[in-house]
Amino acid sequence: MDIVTVQNLKKYFGSGPRQVRAVDGISLSIEKGKLTAVIGASGSGKTTLLNLIGGLYKPTEGTVIIDGVNLGRLQEEELTIFRRRKIGFVFQDCNLVPELTVRENILFPLALDNSRPDMIFFEKLTGLLGLQEKLDDFPYMLSGGGQQCTAIARALIARPAIILADEPTGSFDAKTSQNVAGLLKMTTDTFHQTLIMITHNLELAQLADYVVRLQDGRIVQ
Amino acid sequence: MDDILKTLTRRSFAASRARNWIAVLAIALTAVLFTAITTIVIGTAESFTLTIQMQKMSQSDGDLRYMTEEQFEALHQADFIDTAGLRMPVAFLTNASRHNIEFNIEDEIQAELTFCVPTHGRTPSAANEVVASDLALRDLGIEPEVGAEIMIAFTAHGQHYTLPMIVSGWYEALNSQMSVLWAGTAFREEHPEIFRYTFSADRELAGTYWSDFTVRSTLNLEKKLRELVFGLGGEPDDMNAPNYMPAVVNQVTNTRPSFFQITATVVFAALFMLCGYLLIYNVFDIAVMQDIRRFGLYRTIGMSRKQVRRLINQQAFWLSCIGIPLGLLVGFFTGKAALPLIMNMVVTEYRHLAADVSPSSALFLTAAALTALTVFCSTRKPIRIAANTPPIDAFRYVENSGGRRASRKSALGTSIPRLAWSNLGRNRQRTAFIMLSLTLCVVLLNCAGTAADSVDVEKETAFMMRTDFAVVNEASTSNFKGFVRRSDALKAKTIADIAARPGITDGSVVYKNTAEDTNVTYDFGHSLTGETYRNDSSGLTFGYDHVYNHYGLGDDGRMICNVYGMAENALARMDLREGETNPHVLYEKMAAGDGILVGVGVNRRDMSFVPMLDLADVGQIITVYKNGTPIMELPILAKAALNGDDQEIGFTVNGPNEIGGDGLFLYLPANIYEKLYEQPTVYKYSFNIEDEYEAEMTAFLEDYMKTTDPSMNYLSAQSARKSSEGTQQMIRFVGGFVGLIFGLAGVLNLINTIITTILTRRQEFAAMESVGMTRRQLTGMMVWEGVYYAAGACLFGLVLAAALNLTLVKSLVDSMWQFTFHFTLLPALGACVVLLLVSAVVPILALRCFRKGSIVEQLRITE
Repeated sequence: MDIVTVQNLKKYFGSGPRQVRAVDGISLSIEKGKLTAVIGASGSGKTTLLNLIGGLYKPTEGTVIIDGVNLGRLQEEELTIFRRRKIGFVFQDCNLVPELTVRENILFPLALDNSRPDMIFFEKLTGLLGLQEKLDDFPYMLSGGGQQCTAIARALIARPAIILADEPTGSFDAKTSQNVAGLLKMTTDTFHQTLIMITHNLELAQLADYVVRLQDGRIVQ
Repeated sequence: MDDILKTLTRRSFAASRARNWIAVLAIALTAVLFTAITTIVIGTAESFTLTIQMQKMSQSDGDLRYMTEEQFEALHQADFIDTAGLRMPVAFLTNASRHNIEFNIEDEIQAELTFCVPTHGRTPSAANEVVASDLALRDLGIEPEVGAEIMIAFTAHGQHYTLPMIVSGWYEALNSQMSVLWAGTAFREEHPEIFRYTFSADRELAGTYWSDFTVRSTLNLEKKLRELVFGLGGEPDDMNAPNYMPAVVNQVTNTRPSFFQITATVVFAALFMLCGYLLIYNVFDIAVMQDIRRFGLYRTIGMSRKQVRRLINQQAFWLSCIGIPLGLLVGFFTGKAALPLIMNMVVTEYRHLAADVSPSSALFLTAAALTALTVFCSTRKPIRIAANTPPIDAFRYVENSGGRRASRKSALGTSIPRLAWSNLGRNRQRTAFIMLSLTLCVVLLNCAGTAADSVDVEKETAFMMRTDFAVVNEASTSNFKGFVRRSDALKAKTIADIAARPGITDGSVVYKNTAEDTNVTYDFGHSLTGETYRNDSSGLTFGYDHVYNHYGLGDDGRMICNVYGMAENALARMDLREGETNPHVLYEKMAAGDGILVGVGVNRRDMSFVPMLDLADVGQIITVYKNGTPIMELPILAKAALNGDDQEIGFTVNGPNEIGGDGLFLYLPANIYEKLYEQPTVYKYSFNIEDEYEAEMTAFLEDYMKTTDPSMNYLSAQSARKSSEGTQQMIRFVGGFVGLIFGLAGVLNLINTIITTILTRRQEFAAMESVGMTRRQLTGMMVWEGVYYAAGACLFGLVLAAALNLTLVKSLVDSMWQFTFHFTLLPALGACVVLLLVSAVVPILALRCFRKGSIVEQLRITE
């Protein structure tokens, strides 16, 4: 069953001769529970594609359907709520809220949604990511890997339909990268989450069920 | 779950301490502004009301007069009356000399409402006990002392009484001209014959009941009072009705703000809101800009716009919770401290000045509400930016929304000043806000300075006084009397004693006709309607003309006019406008009986004759009648523009109003005047004095007035000047205060922007240093940035100040007679120098405080 369906997706920036075709007619389907790696050179349109799937950009043309919902038909606030409930984000630089503890950072999306956390799931998740001893720590007290684990937990806590990870290991050394990627893979596998991950690291890409290679805004593989 | 949001708000708040302090300071400053001004406005209004109440000797809501005992008892039953005092006027004491002493029977409520509660001793209980003011007791010849014996003399029901009384208590008089001496009801029981009610038959006041009262609500008070009077069987309007019972609403207590006051309040409130807006908006704008990436993150992970708005609103609320109370407190005490200063500046003519304000919920609520409204308005746009910036755009947000191409702003290969110049456009709106607040500071200071400089102290003084000193009988300076009778003459011995002092030049006595000089009348062809009335004060009959100007009439029914007699030097000081304008020639002709000088009241603004008062032309013949027989025909040789000094003294014109009314002001040479009037009465002795004797003369006159001739009073050019200078100081103070606040707002914005610049451009600065820019050059660049802001503001400020000076300020100033427009840019230039210095110093201090650590450390700093 496809959880993400992208049809003829285009995103152009600017106009005239200076127009940049960041994403130029991409169609793809992503199966539920699978890990899809998006690879490609800088400027190939990876991040734009991810932002389009995440509803952060409005496409110039084409449709994005997630869990049966066409994002193009959602109003701004509906899209925010949809994103809050159905999409988890993991960024390269973690983007944790420095004023909140690890626990609060993880529960933050639920707080925004006024939802009660499933504490069993929370404990299982934090246990899996090795965060149980650090729940009351602030982000600055954690290592880079620890911070990214917190970001992963935050992305997963609402049990979203998909997780979008933009180079989640991009700022780590090789060893930490592997650990973080491994944890990400393990967690999504454990909770049957769909993960779309941008990476430059081919080793990490090999962990994926599917690999999408982009070039000049188009899928080449 | 809301707990995390609250925690986030709280911790974000705590994490941004420096920024929050600036925000708190901005909000507090706005609150200070509103509270100080509200305190000053409310305090000034209350103090002014109380001052006038003290002067008028009543703080009641109104009073009822000429009641019978039954009516007085019934008054207490009226549902809208809260408290009602008892006052039974007996008479003015006849054995008082300088001070007017009203003898009443009163109760404590009345005493409380009319400021005559004894501050020393107690209220009277025995029939021979009285409470009096210190001035009254001194006038009666004793020093204020409880237990002292005094004699009071008065006439009631045609009977003259002289009674020994004991002072049971005394109070400090609030009115220098008049006060109340009162006995208790025991006196009434002891002397029932005095308190027979005969008012309806003979208008005798003794025996009538009066009452000052307070009401539960002043709404429709006039209507309620009229209904009450009719209900009591009284007649409120017809003075001649036997049951006449006027119901007077105390207009001092129940003042309503004028249109001008309301407009001024709205304009100032709007101005302060703008100032607060400039300040608070910038603070929040900078805060949002600094946190925009964070809001982007929040929005990405699902925070709705509403939640973003709530987050910032909560922070604004918390900042307001700290800033507003702080500002309210500081503002209140600032206003309270400034109030006496302002009252002293504004009100120079009251000896007993009330200048205090109590903390009231209305005051704080008004100031807090205005501040909160300003915070609300100021945060709308930054909140909208934070909530509406798309998540991805927020992530990428770089503070350069100017839209100009980078190449145009490129500073490569240029000097430090040019590099600084290129940085100004990073946020044009913020640059505009700083410039606007600094510009407003310069402009407002200059407008206030121009207005203050345009107060024409000499013009106002000259209108009140033509000489350095003018000595008169105190009646001439009294709001209750005026120079009316021969008994109000200035004593010959007093004139002689003063004239014997050293340094006097140009001394001259001036005669004026009185209410007793009714046998000398004038006819210049002005017809009256035949309708007349009797003036109770002067005892003269007055007639009306067709425009309801009123004229004092003599024994033969002709006008007695206001007639002055003087020596040549006094006439030479007058402003001769038409006809013979050479004073010497004019005086010679007048002394030969060939004519007369007519004075005409002027419009103070342009000093032109008031057409309504310009009743005769040069060349027109005035026939002088004595005892009903024409004795002289005097052609009008010249017309003079009158000032206050030519009519009576200062701005007091009670005397002329009581005698000639709106009739001609005629000026005769002393020899003719002395021939015409049987008992020429000197009303004024005017003189100039050599500078070195001025202080000595003031001291002499003060002492002479106290020790030798208490019936004398004087006005000096110096005191008139001081009164005028009060207005000047007031404008300087208020304008300076407002300008200072705007200046502070601008400087605070500048500080905020410079600090933000330093914090947000740390990596950029580090990069510059890494490629060879020295700290000195970096500091220089930031100094130039600050100076550019100030220089721009100064430039705009100077141009705008000059333009406003020549338009708005000039038209305002020209509309008031005490002002003569005086163009100046000195206040603006002064403000510019200060702003330029501050703008140069702020970046230096900010760099020292906020930029520490090595280049490598700075380069590593991430958001």
